Amino acid sequence: MTDIGTSIPSVTVRGPQAPGNTAALDPVFTVSDLSVFYGEYEAVRQVDLSIGNREITAMIGPSGCGKSTVLRCFNRMNDLIPGARAAGKILYHGEDLYGDHVDPIEVRRRIGMVFQKPNPFPKSIYDNIAYGPRVNGTKGKMDEVVEEALTQAALWDEVKDKLKQNALSLSGGQQQRLCIARAIAVKPEVILMDEPCSALDPIATTKIEDLMQQLARDYTIVIVTHNMQQAARVSNRTAFFTADVDDKGERHGRLVEFDETSRIFTNPTDQRTEDYITGRFG
Amino acid sequence: MAVLSTPRSAVQLASKGRPVREHLFRIALIASLGIAFVFLAALLSYVLVEGWPRIDSRLWENMPSVRNPDIAGAQSAITGTLWVISLTAVLTLPTGIAAAIYLEEYADKTRWWNRVIELNIQNLAAIPSIVYGILGLGIIARTFGLGFSVITASMTLGLLVLPIVIIASREAIRAVPPSIREGSLALGATQWQTISRQVLPASIPGIATGSILALSRAIGEAAPLLMLGAVSFIRFNPDGVFASYTVLPIQIFNWISQSREGFHVLASAAIVILLLILLLMNSVAIWLRNRYQKRW
Repeated sequence: MTDIGTSIPSVTVRGPQAPGNTAALDPVFTVSDLSVFYGEYEAVRQVDLSIGNREITAMIGPSGCGKSTVLRCFNRMNDLIPGARAAGKILYHGEDLYGDHVDPIEVRRRIGMVFQKPNPFPKSIYDNIAYGPRVNGTKGKMDEVVEEALTQAALWDEVKDKLKQNALSLSGGQQQRLCIARAIAVKPEVILMDEPCSALDPIATTKIEDLMQQLARDYTIVIVTHNMQQAARVSNRTAFFTADVDDKGERHGRLVEFDETSRIFTNPTDQRTEDYITGRFG
Repeated sequence: MAVLSTPRSAVQLASKGRPVREHLFRIALIASLGIAFVFLAALLSYVLVEGWPRIDSRLWENMPSVRNPDIAGAQSAITGTLWVISLTAVLTLPTGIAAAIYLEEYADKTRWWNRVIELNIQNLAAIPSIVYGILGLGIIARTFGLGFSVITASMTLGLLVLPIVIIASREAIRAVPPSIREGSLALGATQWQTISRQVLPASIPGIATGSILALSRAIGEAAPLLMLGAVSFIRFNPDGVFASYTVLPIQIFNWISQSREGFHVLASAAIVILLLILLLMNSVAIWLRNRYQKRW
């Protein structure tokens, strides 16, 4: 059972350009000593990691280990939960994301998000894409913006003849690509994906994964996933989270290991990582 | 073959008397529905038969009178009802929807004052309408000096139905999934953009349905307006919001209290008109709900 290579057969691991670096060069985000609280409860404890520019970083781990919580700090979506609070630092290109002068609206315009369950607006396909640019005050050729976003999200050919149709009439996989297109339309730098394929069938999942690979040329992507094969297939770096149970019985999420994906999956340094990826728990 | 070889007594699929109880329960449910329906049908057929001879153009072309039931009509009561209810809608809907938006989208529910507001809105919905009449008389008619006018009536009825509008609107707003708000905010939309461009459009059908039902309640109210000078024999139509007025329920009440048979016929005919207006409003509510209802 120690031979990890056999437990994940035929997985092509996407290697980083500079092998041997655990910390990303030219990081978009640098997280140091991040703890997230919901009221008094410390959901995530002391996380340190960095997100490389135009890389795909995967966050994996069992349920309740705080990986989504950390993801939602990157675009300050946690602000919407009453009582949520982040301690420590997240630097975005050297700028403190939780600094006093930072406007969360501006943060979310630059750092887009795709959710677990496709959540298209109950409007036409066209209006779904145009919504982001419109609320951000984009004037001018909206048709081009819509076509470009849908093309980048590999959805244009499927929907170009029915742009006026309600987005809810699309299939689940198409809806999720629409949500990706919607995020792209505001031209963000980073796209956060919170288990984007967990509500989709395998074929739709493959399409989204292919799409991620293409998008990584232009965007920095952070993905939370339950699917280890998915992390192995698409990501450059992987962060493995787990939950510690303290003496009061409360679970606190913790980053166990952060490294190049190839190393996490073939030669993890921590026993817990090895147990998880070989399927012994989680 | 294994199935065939099982002894018959091993599998107990025979009835244990459950169907009888199921049946009785169903009959009880249908009977309850039947009682409500029979009374409604009896009421409707009674007023229709009784009022039939007077459901004609005299009813809406002539003014009320206590002298001659043959030429008396209800025009001023019909126009009065339309004036009062329209103004009630204009005053109540924006206020009620705004209050609902505050409570659902902005209020921090951990704060005690927001919980107090919530609890009291529920309480307000249960207060008898005559109490609102006294409030309207004391504050709106006297203190504000608006007198016995259309606007006094509309403001009083507005207060009466405001809790219903707020509760219905809150439910409609709450029915919009949080994922829609998240999706909008994640694109860099402000909270107000999210509310005005996503939440409100998606909840309008529910809000409209609830509001129309609330106004339907206001249209049938007589008690508070008795205190607010909806005098029954107004022989002119209101010409503005400060004019004197009467409304259909008051007019009906007054005709019923007359001793001559002809006025009772007239009252039944007016009831039919009132029911028609109500039916029309409720149909619009149902149509709106079916036409624009969102399925998530």
